[in-house]
Amino acid sequence: MRALKPQLYTIPASGETPALCGGTCACGHVFFPMQRYGCEKCGKTGDALTPTLLKGEGTLVASSRVLMHARKDRQAPFVVLSVKLKGGPVVRTLLAEDTDEFLPAGLQLKACLVEVDGPADGEKRLDLRFAPAA
Amino acid sequence: MTTTLKDLRPVYVVGAGWHRYQNPSDNPYVALGLKATRDALEDAAIEWRAVDTAYIATALLPMAPGRAILRHLGASGVELIHIENASASGSAAFRKACIEVASGISDVALVLGVDKHGSHPRGRGEAIAGIGNLADDAIVPFTHFSLLADQYAQRHGVSHEDIARVAVKNHGNGAKNPNAQRQQARTLDEVVGGRKVSGNFTTLQCTPVGEGAAAVIVASEDAIRRLGIAGSKPIRVSGSAGRSQRVYDNPTAYDASLTAETTEIALRQAGLAPKDIDIVELHDAFTVEEVEYVEAMGFCPAGQAVPLLKEGAWDINGKCAVNPSGGLIAMGHPIGPTGVGQIGEIVLQLRGEAGLRQHKPARVGLAHMVGVGAVCYVHTLQKD
Repeated sequence: MRALKPQLYTIPASGETPALCGGTCACGHVFFPMQRYGCEKCGKTGDALTPTLLKGEGTLVASSRVLMHARKDRQAPFVVLSVKLKGGPVVRTLLAEDTDEFLPAGLQLKACLVEVDGPADGEKRLDLRFAPAA
Repeated sequence: MTTTLKDLRPVYVVGAGWHRYQNPSDNPYVALGLKATRDALEDAAIEWRAVDTAYIATALLPMAPGRAILRHLGASGVELIHIENASASGSAAFRKACIEVASGISDVALVLGVDKHGSHPRGRGEAIAGIGNLADDAIVPFTHFSLLADQYAQRHGVSHEDIARVAVKNHGNGAKNPNAQRQQARTLDEVVGGRKVSGNFTTLQCTPVGEGAAAVIVASEDAIRRLGIAGSKPIRVSGSAGRSQRVYDNPTAYDASLTAETTEIALRQAGLAPKDIDIVELHDAFTVEEVEYVEAMGFCPAGQAVPLLKEGAWDINGKCAVNPSGGLIAMGHPIGPTGVGQIGEIVLQLRGEAGLRQHKPARVGLAHMVGVGAVCYVHTLQKD
């Protein structure tokens, strides 16, 4: 099955953790997602920006369970996370499964892929989420 | 070597006016803008013809609404400049008007903020920048700040009920403000027991975005003398700073980091310290922002904003009145007018004209706005 956002993450072989498609600047700044407009920290562009696969592992910074959402294509409730990636930046993403349980800061998290609706009617795609590491 | 406001000739706010912030109505924006402008001119006791330049702050209206409003005062040919800077549109317009008057290019400036929610919805520039995002539309502003609330509560060991006390205080202040969108005092039970939107936020902990207008008149000393403006009216603008988001060591605290550095610049420019501030109007679109920002501004150490809130330090007639207008939570946040209305509230407070919500003594005020976390403005105002 194809990725919903192939520019943002990899679909690995079975059993492996997906990686996030980030970048590293010659100045040392690590960012997500990869972009070539220019480094947010120093302004370098072109060859100074190198694609870098970031491990789909991290720790929870904060979470919020969304209970009211205007858009019809994403039904509440769902849980949004701030995740500090191992050796990478903080990203904002979704928890794989909705829960109303308290999620403590520092919780170990791992990326995973879940089946979601694709752009065409009846089409299914894989999209990245995070879940507590086993 | 750059020049700051304090290096130029003094500038004063000499008039303030509002159209009440309210839920969206059929009333055209022209009527909202005219009410606020006429009230500001009347407050300053000057004629429209005395105004040299006009800044119009709006984030939700179509292009160039300024002339559609101001021509009804008599089309004087005055320069009209429209400014969009997200939530901080009004604050940015005020800063540019102050700089223009301080520089001597103009003697009298009108700053008008006017907006109507839903009239011409615009998306965010970042959303169509061509850079992907894992959570796309899932994170609207109340969820961004709900994440910060979760982080703050866990870091400092405070409860979400205690953070919600910001809303109780600000609804109480809004109940005393005839220009506020929400004019009803609320108990803590009402605030935390309302409809939840994200995390622990209920609707009463979030700002309502409606419609309204606010206007202030900025003038030089020359203009004050020439126009015979009453001595009790002028309030000096002593510091002005505008900044945008950098890459910070703590990437999750960019709103607070940006606030800290912008406030520091404005206070230094005015020769003030946090302890000198009597009144603060700050961007409390969501309760957690108020506790984060009073700490970032240096009014108390990190983690102390909530205990001080519970002691009443941020109440009217407390240590420092924070959001005596009701703040964005109760006064409302029509976007373009919000930053202008903050200036007007501080002016009323420093003149001693704030009625039931008067903070005593009030000699120095500070106004703060952020715009989608990306821009920040801080102004200090003082009674001479």
